[in-house]
Amino acid sequence: MTKVFVGMSGGVDSSLTAALLVEQGYDVTGVYMKNWTQDLPGMRCPWADDLADAKRVAVQLGIDFRVFDFETEYRDKVVGYMIEEYKQGRTPNPDIMCNQEVKFKLFLETALEQGADMIATGHYAKVQDGQLLRAEDENKDQTYFLYRVEGAALEKTLFPLGEYTKPMVRTMAEERGLYTAGKKDSQGICFVGQIGIREFLQQYIETQPGDIIDTASGQSLGRHDGAIFYTLGQRHGLDIGGGLPYYVVGKDMSKNEVYVSTNLDDENLWKHEITLQNLHWIHNAPRDGDELQVRIRHRAALVACTYSKGSLRLAEPQRAVTPGQSAVLYQGKLCIGGGIVVQ
Amino acid sequence: MSLTQIYLDHAAATPMDERVIHAMRPFFDDVFFNPSSPYAPAVAVRREYEQAKSRLAATFGAKADELVMTAGATESINLAFHGVNGHVVTSAIEHHAVLAAAEQCEHTLVAPTDKGIVSADTVAAALRPDTELVSIQLANNEIGTIQPLRDIAMVIENERHRRADAGETTPLLFHSDASQGFGQLDVSVARLGIDMLTLNSGKMYGPKQVGLLWLKAGTHRDPLIVGGGQERGLRSGTENVAGVIGFAKAAELAHKHHKAEAKRLAKLRDTMQQRLQHAFPDMVVSGHTKKRLAGSLHIAFPGLDGERLVFRLEAKGVLLATGSACAANKGSRSHVLEAIGLAPDVADGSLRITMGKLTDSADIESATNLIIEEVMAEFERIGRA
Repeated sequence: MTKVFVGMSGGVDSSLTAALLVEQGYDVTGVYMKNWTQDLPGMRCPWADDLADAKRVAVQLGIDFRVFDFETEYRDKVVGYMIEEYKQGRTPNPDIMCNQEVKFKLFLETALEQGADMIATGHYAKVQDGQLLRAEDENKDQTYFLYRVEGAALEKTLFPLGEYTKPMVRTMAEERGLYTAGKKDSQGICFVGQIGIREFLQQYIETQPGDIIDTASGQSLGRHDGAIFYTLGQRHGLDIGGGLPYYVVGKDMSKNEVYVSTNLDDENLWKHEITLQNLHWIHNAPRDGDELQVRIRHRAALVACTYSKGSLRLAEPQRAVTPGQSAVLYQGKLCIGGGIVVQ
Repeated sequence: MSLTQIYLDHAAATPMDERVIHAMRPFFDDVFFNPSSPYAPAVAVRREYEQAKSRLAATFGAKADELVMTAGATESINLAFHGVNGHVVTSAIEHHAVLAAAEQCEHTLVAPTDKGIVSADTVAAALRPDTELVSIQLANNEIGTIQPLRDIAMVIENERHRRADAGETTPLLFHSDASQGFGQLDVSVARLGIDMLTLNSGKMYGPKQVGLLWLKAGTHRDPLIVGGGQERGLRSGTENVAGVIGFAKAAELAHKHHKAEAKRLAKLRDTMQQRLQHAFPDMVVSGHTKKRLAGSLHIAFPGLDGERLVFRLEAKGVLLATGSACAANKGSRSHVLEAIGLAPDVADGSLRITMGKLTDSADIESATNLIIEEVMAEFERIGRA
């Protein structure tokens, strides 16, 4: 019997994942990854409740349950990475890093060491012959977060939810009477929760006030309290009030300046070409001239593009292609990999 | 699918008695007045409040003006420790409130026996010339063991005599956290020989966040909370009239029925223990089997995970506690089980069952059956049937 270790977060998706695998005849062990336990001002980290919920479901399913403690590695590889990227003025995606470093590396390795043949998670994605494919539910598809996973890791991974839509998952969890069937989905970056990234970063990064400059006039419109808090294309939170809305069209970290414009067509907001770094290919790199589709943020529309030497020529310009975010490449349903957007 | 709920966690919380709720009811709206106000209806509330304190004090042989009403046992304990500059002696199996308060002083933790009893001799050995406070619980909240407070009081009295003879002036006080066991034991402060007593309404079918610290006449503490000078200046803030009225009613009921209730619960507890021991000869029962609260049963199934059992039983409507909340409770094992020398794999497989007013023999019959079923199922699951 194939031994599968399922990452169980205490949410409905991973709960149903475990239940389906039990039904499919696997020898299932539930694993809670203890990655982050720290409360933040205004936010209680719900890890202990989530752990208890995950364990409740494991008990309900009659499966073995373990806790893997990855706090040190998570702090180092995911949170540390995120803070460092923000310091550099970029907008990183910690979930992608978590999948790359923790879930599909550390968790996989630890599970294999402890006797697993495969791992499984509640991601909405599909694996076929070690290839990563978009989920049936295009609205929920999470391949954007998975493009940095190794092909070899995918060969040992099951994504049972890839076939279902989120509403189906809820219904199936209810039908099975799973304890977590009605539990609300978590929102945003798990360790930041509802408090907002700004409050989180303020704990770790010392920032200086600087000028907010209108690119049209070159005049300062007011002060910001740290350029790192501003992301390309962002409209809200500029606190400069009145008249037409302003959008962030750029920033200079060395001058600590944020550039804004009322012009929705500002050339800095729209890109025809994207340069990538830290390329990662699940199996084979594309060849120059390959016609692909790219997604520049989770749930964004797929855009036709031509690949050439780590750069993408877009069929139509895209708004707010943000440095630090990932551009993920597809060939039809197949996710082949991608890279990090360069400034 | 409504399940019959069987509640076996009275050491964690108790449901308020209807008579308690009834007694409190008028003080929320009809007579909501501030007892410090000058007009007659408020003065009447003041009188009711003072009378409730008198009735409450009488349940443990004290007087109203010796009580400081607080927002629960944790606050009472903090007040009892407040202003201690010297050395403190307490036991390794106290509640976290006592342990944390002791942490703030130079302190010695006395180890219990493997049966969970803190002997007077070990307390005597821990006393130093600069010891100012000894704090030992009346009964343990996890394993239910009852501590020999009177014997410990004699040790303390001897030390006081020694100090007096030697011309030493360091005062020595004896505090007891009696949050657990009030409804099952006779708590007479004179008989116990203590100087300070903490009681908790929420553990005796009264409202939560209401407690008291009794200070023997002539015993002084510095206030933790200053303000309008209520409670003889030791605990400022408008009196929680409804809460104290409820606490008094709860204490009166608990005191009045404690003998019969202890007898009734001991019978239920022994029935359950015997049946479980018969079904599982390897089951470990923790704590002294005689010197133990009547409604307390702490058991362990070596090799099993107590938390899994709690979740299994919760699904069957039986609510009880893990002896050692290993996973859900921040990864720490129970300090009590560690102190009595229970091996970690035994501690991890333990359950705390605490019976009370809600528990009847039908409950015990069903709960015992369900525990046997679920424990067997877990042993089967891990291949040790």
